[in-house]
Amino acid sequence: MSSDSIPNPTQDALLRSSIDRSLRHPVMFFMTSGAAWLAVSIILGIISSAKVHSPHFLDGSAWLTYGRVFPAHINALVYGWGFQAAFAVIIWLMARLSRQECRSAGIILTAGHIWNLAVSMGVIGILSGNGTGMPWMEFPSFTWPVLLASYFMIVVWSFIQFRVRPEGHVYISQWYILAAMVWFPWIFLTANLLLNCFPGHPLMGAGINAWYKSGLIFLFFTPVGLGTAYYLAPKVSGRPIHSYSLAKLGFWSLTIIAPWAGMQKLAGAPIPYFLPYFGAAATVMMFIPAACAAANILRTAFFSKDAVAESPSLRFSIAGVISLVVMGAAALILNLPGSTLKLTQFSIAGYGFELLSLYAFFSFVMFGAIYFIVPRITRREWLSRRLITMHFFFSIYGIMAVAVVALFAGLEQGSAQESWQLPWMNAAVTTRPYAWFATIAWCFILFSNLFFFLHLALMWLRLGRRSSHPTLLVSSHGSSPHGSEGDIDNTGADHAAAH
Amino acid sequence: MSLRTFILGLSASFGIAWLAVIVVPYFKMRDMAPIQLSEEADGKTGIFYPKRAGRVADGALVYAENGCYLCHTQVIRPTYAGNDLYRADWAGLKEDADRGDTRRETNAFDFTYEKFAQIGVTRLGPDLSNIGRRVESLYAPKADPAKWLYAHLYNPRYRPELRASACPSYRFLFVEQTIKGSRSLDALPFGGTETTELVPTSEAKALISYLLSLKKDQPVPAALNFSPAKKDG
Repeated sequence: MSSDSIPNPTQDALLRSSIDRSLRHPVMFFMTSGAAWLAVSIILGIISSAKVHSPHFLDGSAWLTYGRVFPAHINALVYGWGFQAAFAVIIWLMARLSRQECRSAGIILTAGHIWNLAVSMGVIGILSGNGTGMPWMEFPSFTWPVLLASYFMIVVWSFIQFRVRPEGHVYISQWYILAAMVWFPWIFLTANLLLNCFPGHPLMGAGINAWYKSGLIFLFFTPVGLGTAYYLAPKVSGRPIHSYSLAKLGFWSLTIIAPWAGMQKLAGAPIPYFLPYFGAAATVMMFIPAACAAANILRTAFFSKDAVAESPSLRFSIAGVISLVVMGAAALILNLPGSTLKLTQFSIAGYGFELLSLYAFFSFVMFGAIYFIVPRITRREWLSRRLITMHFFFSIYGIMAVAVVALFAGLEQGSAQESWQLPWMNAAVTTRPYAWFATIAWCFILFSNLFFFLHLALMWLRLGRRSSHPTLLVSSHGSSPHGSEGDIDNTGADHAAAH
Repeated sequence: MSLRTFILGLSASFGIAWLAVIVVPYFKMRDMAPIQLSEEADGKTGIFYPKRAGRVADGALVYAENGCYLCHTQVIRPTYAGNDLYRADWAGLKEDADRGDTRRETNAFDFTYEKFAQIGVTRLGPDLSNIGRRVESLYAPKADPAKWLYAHLYNPRYRPELRASACPSYRFLFVEQTIKGSRSLDALPFGGTETTELVPTSEAKALISYLLSLKKDQPVPAALNFSPAKKDG
């Protein structure tokens, strides 16, 4: 899907290079500050996870009590890292695919700073004991209008770029990203207005909150991750998308199924009975869009097995897409009303599933995108193959531990909870081994990301390699996985005397 | 497909779900009809008004700010959705001196005076729907239930049967103060020195008052009573 409609390769390279240059500062800003929030979130994650099995760990201080550290951790992960990584990818992909330079880098950068300020205030608000007590919406309520306003200032330009793009093909990536751009403000505004401004029945509030959580995962992070993977797989492997109709099926099934999901978390609570059932049915059926998109992307990427072995971008995003299949399977297996839902409803599997979607799927695809984008916008190559490999393998160990929590913890912990003849302490203690798994997962993720942070910081300081050969994971320099376009776009531009 | 059709498709597929699971149920539940009591079934007329006493709004805020909802749920699911009702003490009392078996599932009136129903995320700790009832009738039947909860909040592993608890200590909700004259009525039975004592802060008092208000086993009108055979009045 790269350059079939563009007549002149040199002009094309020039255009791409100028797009990259126009977006260098905002994209690097979102990636580096997102990575910084990821670091904060991982540290808070280790602290909170350790407290579940070792309550004496950092005990007794108000700021570090479990009930504050955990929400700070998950909110930093979602709004600090997740959204900022998504912004970086959205603005870059939309500009590239719509073939438009970014003319509003200053505004995007300003809005990005405001977003970061709001996230900082929110995390400090939670830790200082001013959280709202609504999962994933714990930031003090003054932050949400700020977040929403800066969101619009960041992505509205991408929408305009799409509007004024040269006539022609609309890429699959663009469907997903446009959809995420439309859905997120709708979900965010609905949940915040109905919970913070016009509170209705307290139980419906809890239902809306559960729907909001599910909406962020399935209607924002999933489409952004899929849009990115649909870009990287054909781009790096140099092959067209395997099946266009499968892509359509995957996309439209997501749009039809995902908005109904979420309220299965309230099964058995006194809300209208159809709500948890619809939520469970939709969550179970999420396997369909996940499997369609994953099959399509994997078929595309594995056309070129060398590329999968060599390219860090492809390897990370393929691991992410495989995690998406596991995530879809977890959604299917763990939410069956009448059998598994009652076991997993109030178990640690919920957290496992969140990590599976936010880290194993979404973050992996984002890492893939970062390894692809950063050399293009900084015009430097990644320094070390070894740092990338370390990042990859330790993250894989981390997500395997996460998958254990997501898939097995719920069933076992739930069975213990349902054994009403035994004392409650029996069920409480059953959770401990899985809590250890969660801590181990975070430790691996921290360790793996130390390599990533170091590497990204060096690239940010423009200390990357000046080379026309991309950093690959296999030492042979024989063929480039980036296809016929040449090694790196900016080299092309330099050679064509861009300035 | 034009952008217009595309956005329309997105809005329709999302909007239908949004109306059906968010907007309509939100308005329906906001204006929930009060339950009329009937002379023959309930023995009195008028409307059902759930009883609740204590610093509910204050305490719910402390509950939310300190993340109690992360480990404790507040919902007793009907038997089709879980075994919560069978536990001897979660859903009420199995053998109450006056009322017999008071256990029942949670109903929509149980969250009166709260802004957000803390259904909860994970059951790392026990369900708290009836914690007030449990402490008063089972854990500290002859003592001051508030003092039992203060001690538990300060050190959840204080009692031998709770040694394995993973609940965090909320020491930061207590202060050490000099004893002036007699000891404070709320002072913890441990901690402090000859001249000082540990007393709960206003936040701890609000939280405990809220926890003691959690007695979701009160009698319900016949229209809400899903197990009338129990004759629990």
